[in-house]
Order: sequence, then structure tokens, then C-alpha cells
Amino acid sequence: MIRIDNEPWDVMVTHAEAAFPNECCGAMLGTIDGDSKQVTIAEPIENAYAGAQGARYELRPEDLLAADKKARAAGLDLIGIFHSHPDCDAYFSKTDLENSCPWYSFVVLSIKGGKFDHANSFLPNAEQTAAEKEELIWPKS
Amino acid sequence: MAKVLIPTPLRQFADKQDHVELNGSSVGEVLGELTTRFPDLRKQLFNDEGKLRSFVNVYLNDEDIRYLQKDATAVASGDTLSIVPSIAGGAPETTGAWAGGI
Repeated sequence: MIRIDNEPWDVMVTHAEAAFPNECCGAMLGTIDGDSKQVTIAEPIENAYAGAQGARYELRPEDLLAADKKARAAGLDLIGIFHSHPDCDAYFSKTDLENSCPWYSFVVLSIKGGKFDHANSFLPNAEQTAAEKEELIWPKS
Repeated sequence: MAKVLIPTPLRQFADKQDHVELNGSSVGEVLGELTTRFPDLRKQLFNDEGKLRSFVNVYLNDEDIRYLQKDATAVASGDTLSIVPSIAGGAPETTGAWAGGI
């Protein structure tokens, strides 16, 4: 289960709506207790995909490294990645799966007509062949 | 000795440590030492052919080893190795479609 606090949730939704009609992306920092994760900081990261960004995103590893350093400095952990699906449901697409990593929670935000609609979280496997849905709790969910 | 930073989700395979100090004069040697000491990490980092998984990047201090000498990149005492994944993705171009989510 992954729970997102109010403040990081606002950051994620604001970032995703501002990026519309393009995809946005970012990192989620927080704490882990067994299978229970709590996001306390959301870190927007520039979408580094070189082509049209309406249906693609890419995180630069060095930006992720910077997010990990920020988490360590704050006594937190890098626990997840978020990105948006503009005018599309919040599922884990084939492209998402084939470019994923099994170490983190992947939260997908569906933005329809420029406004947040719904979200889901996924846990991909190491072979990048399947992703399990993870319980996601956000403010007002 | 070089310091290897362990990403949070992998600490369960490394005695819950957030970093380990290891010997080795190259990146390959340090990673070999890491997976010898923590065999469960091997599956996380390497595929069945013994190559780093496609989503695994290794940084020596702030430099991606792919742009240095890869596994043969020299490691000096006090250097820091970071394990950083490649992540990308995206929805299909089809507007509003539920294209078979998993």
C-alpha cells in the first residue's frame, strides 16, 4: 500500500495539470514500513523525452540520482515514480512496462481535459513483463 | 575502499544497509565484491547472462560509467558508486482509450 500526503499530492496534481497536454514525471520521497509506504515529498522532474511528449516521458538517471541524494539528506527514501497520462486512463501501458524498474512504486495520474481524473499505482516485475496493481491512497480518494 | 550506495528497495538484500564499503580497483571488481557479499543482489542487478539489467545504470561519483570505461572504469579509495535505474514510459496516442491495462 502507498499513501500520499496532502502536500506532495497537490504538487503531483499541479505538475501533471500544468504539463497537460504533455506527460509529466517526478519522484516520490518518503518512508517505508514493510509493505506500507508513505510519500511525504513529491519532486517534479523535467520530462527528458526528446520527441513529442504527449504520450511519452523519460527520466534522466542523473535527475533520479539527485532525487535519491535529496531523500538521503532528508533521512527519507526514494520510494516511487509518478507520471501522467493526458486524456487517457491511469493504467500501466506497454511502454510503461517495457521501460520500468521493479524497485519502485509507479503512480500514474489520469489528466482529462487538463484536470485530474483518477490515479493508480503499479509494481512492475524485474523482467518488465507484468505489473501488479498496488493499493493507492491519496487525499480525498 | 569504495562506497556503494544501496537504493532503498534493494537494502532488504544487503542486510538493510544504505551503503557498503567495498574493495576493488574497477567498477566490475567492486560490483563483483558486492554481489559476492550479498548474493541476493545479483538477481536484482544482473540478468541470466551476467550482464547488468537493461534498466540498471551505475554512476561513479556523478558520472555514468557507460561514458567512462564501463566495468573497467578505475575506482579509487573514497569514490562513491550509485545504482540508478533508467525509467521512461507513456500512454498510447489513442485518446481516452483503455488499452488493456494490467
